[in-house]
Amino acid sequence: MEANLLKEKVNTGFIVEGSEDMNEEYLKALKQTLLIVGDTELLSVPPLLTVYDQAPTLNHKITALAIMQDEIGHAHIAYRLLKELGEDVDELLYNREPNRWKNPYAFDFELSNWVELGVFNAYFDRAGYTLLGDAFEHTSYGPWKRALVKVDKEELFHLRNGEIIMRTAMKDPELAEQVQKASDWMFLMALEFFGVADDLKSRSAQLDYKLKGKTNDELRQKWLSTAVPFCESIGVSVPAHYDENTKRYVIDVPFPCKFDVANKKWLYDEPDTWENVIKRFKDRGPRNAEFVQRLQKGAKEMENLRKEVS
Amino acid sequence: MAVNVQSEQKYWDALKEVMDPEFPISVVDMGLIYDIKEQADTIQVTMTFTAVGCACTEWIKGDIEKRLLEERNVHAVDIHVVWDPPWTVDRMTEEGRQKMRTWGVSSR
Repeated sequence: MEANLLKEKVNTGFIVEGSEDMNEEYLKALKQTLLIVGDTELLSVPPLLTVYDQAPTLNHKITALAIMQDEIGHAHIAYRLLKELGEDVDELLYNREPNRWKNPYAFDFELSNWVELGVFNAYFDRAGYTLLGDAFEHTSYGPWKRALVKVDKEELFHLRNGEIIMRTAMKDPELAEQVQKASDWMFLMALEFFGVADDLKSRSAQLDYKLKGKTNDELRQKWLSTAVPFCESIGVSVPAHYDENTKRYVIDVPFPCKFDVANKKWLYDEPDTWENVIKRFKDRGPRNAEFVQRLQKGAKEMENLRKEVS
Repeated sequence: MAVNVQSEQKYWDALKEVMDPEFPISVVDMGLIYDIKEQADTIQVTMTFTAVGCACTEWIKGDIEKRLLEERNVHAVDIHVVWDPPWTVDRMTEEGRQKMRTWGVSSR
């Protein structure tokens, strides 16, 4: 189908159901989007597992497990859709080099303590909820839209779990310090989820073909509009505030800026470019290889066993 | 007594704002709240959970307590958890069922 015609159709409410409704460009953008989504869901699990055994109560542990199960389920949805679009999902999952995975950079780090799991849920799952909520509302791809009903509801559960952990921790001075410390590195990480600023990239195939509805900066504003008031309500200081004049949230530090990987610390006196940020994403973070290998380990062992016996 | 029922209605309304963690349906529409009584400055809530193994019991109780403490002249909340009568989907309100339907979840 001719590109402009398809763009016009999806922007006037046409829902794409199968490959006969798409053109090559749509299919490519859809596959890219679903791969990012699937990888993000799946690779959220290894960092959560790094502190899973520090759950303060059995109830917390069960909830964390339920969240991880949800995330794997969400990943399964994205990969299943990719399979239906002709991708070799086994190849993607088990034979892809770690640095080729498309999960957010923020997931390439181990967590330091249980409180960080809470902030992870409250910030990163909120980013997921924002991004996928937008897709649920606007996406032109019917099979994905229908699957997102469940995902949307479950991400809300995750982010509320994070809020409960943060709110409870703020009542204990020692834990409150951990919340602040976690927030200090995770806040800008969450803002980076939404990608390059609009003035650098205002249009994309994702938007033109209505795979998503809002621009990167609009989604970033949406995240800020719930994260900032929540943090203010529990006494966590964050580098952003609402500006009454412009009716927008303003980030109070250079964004993007350089990140000290070893100390998980933003270097506010060293502003950066999006070009460098993308480079940092592509270079991947410290635990990328280990986390991906963990997911691939079983499949590889089984493959070797099959070779041995055949 | 009629006066009391009316004054307690505001606490039922307040709990309509407290959502079940897993499904964004209020604890009232989920049918978890069995009774609310006001005794001086304390609210007595009798409630249940959907399952004895529910991992979110403390979470839900915390949210209920927090919301009721926001009401004027409420200084304490006592929550009594009971398992009899047990919760079943029949306890959900029509509003709760309708919401379940939007997620494709059966409430039968």
